[in-house]
Amino acid sequence: MADSTEQEIVGIIGNALKIDANSLTAESTSNDVEEWDSLGHLAILRDLDKFYGGKIAGIKEMAQVDSVGKILQLLKNNSLL
Amino acid sequence: MKVTIKSIEYYLPPTTEDGNVLKKENPDWSIEDIEKKTGVDVRYISAPEQTATDMAALAAEKILSSGLQKKEIEFLILITQSPDYALPTSACILQDRLGLDKSCMAFDVNLGCSGFIYGLAIAGALIDAGLVHNGLLLCSDTYSKYIDKTDRTCRPLFSDAASAALLSSSDHNDIGPFEMGTDGSGFNNLILPSSGTRVNDQQADEKNLFMNGSEIFMFTMDMVPKCVNALLDKSGTQMEDIDLFIFHQASKLVIDNIIRRLNLPEEKVYVNYNQIGNTVSASIPIALSQALQERRLKNNDQVMLVGFGVGYSWGSCLLRWSEQT
Repeated sequence: MADSTEQEIVGIIGNALKIDANSLTAESTSNDVEEWDSLGHLAILRDLDKFYGGKIAGIKEMAQVDSVGKILQLLKNNSLL
Repeated sequence: MKVTIKSIEYYLPPTTEDGNVLKKENPDWSIEDIEKKTGVDVRYISAPEQTATDMAALAAEKILSSGLQKKEIEFLILITQSPDYALPTSACILQDRLGLDKSCMAFDVNLGCSGFIYGLAIAGALIDAGLVHNGLLLCSDTYSKYIDKTDRTCRPLFSDAASAALLSSSDHNDIGPFEMGTDGSGFNNLILPSSGTRVNDQQADEKNLFMNGSEIFMFTMDMVPKCVNALLDKSGTQMEDIDLFIFHQASKLVIDNIIRRLNLPEEKVYVNYNQIGNTVSASIPIALSQALQERRLKNNDQVMLVGFGVGYSWGSCLLRWSEQT
């Protein structure tokens, strides 16, 4: 897997939500982004797991993170970023 | 286990709902996006007065009408989470309604999407132990009655349906081994909160089905591949030896994710969620029945059945399909 950067992760989130990743910041939350509903969150989980070769499935907290910043922090906490 | 599935039938209620119905009732829903992710185009909805017991009886009668002597049915197991009453047991009501002999044992099993696998294990063990020779494994649920009309997480997924399988003793090992598991720490991620005797629950006022989709998705992503691989290890079977995989038809997102994580060839994975929806415990037997109708299974094919969901509960088993059945 290539080294991942925060920008790549934000790109993956934007792609999963089918929105322009440039509209997302670390402060963007599921409340602010209309497309980030329960099904949108599943798409984020799926695409991040795909990107990290199956390593997301073991990070249970990923189910409840509700902002871009929290996703990035959780990835860092798990040495994926 | 020297047990075989002699026949499988199913019942779907006549009323269906598609995206147009959902859109009309919930104009703010993005139906195309929902359908793209769930993969479900049509769902079946039981009539207000129709219960899981009613539907199970209709599925069972399809088997009983094939000339089988009712006195040959020595057990009736009903997998359901939508019983007519907290008590008495719905299976007891079905024994009488189906006209089965009073020597027939009958009991319910309260499990959801893993229920068919557990039912096979229980019924198979009863037969293997020589307690009985033939019986019915019924799966029936009416989750639609638990779901709020405005619930965008549950309503687009779940269907009502019933299945009936006739299980009999056999000369050869058609079913097994099994791999089962439980993780009750996830109990409140798919729950009908005010449905039992626990009243001091934070969710006690909630009358409808609650599903935390993200938590359930993470559970399936983590546990299902482990369950599949554990069964392969236990049975000394290679992935390539499996002719068809039948997973619980949870949703397109879940099934696609399992296919990706296990690197399975899509043509070896049977899906029907698009035209049936998620029918809880009946989903695997309905898929098995349709796979047979569509000739996706040949004599001596090896099938892996995998159920997972509410509980959390999961189970998988191997099934050697015999045409002679």
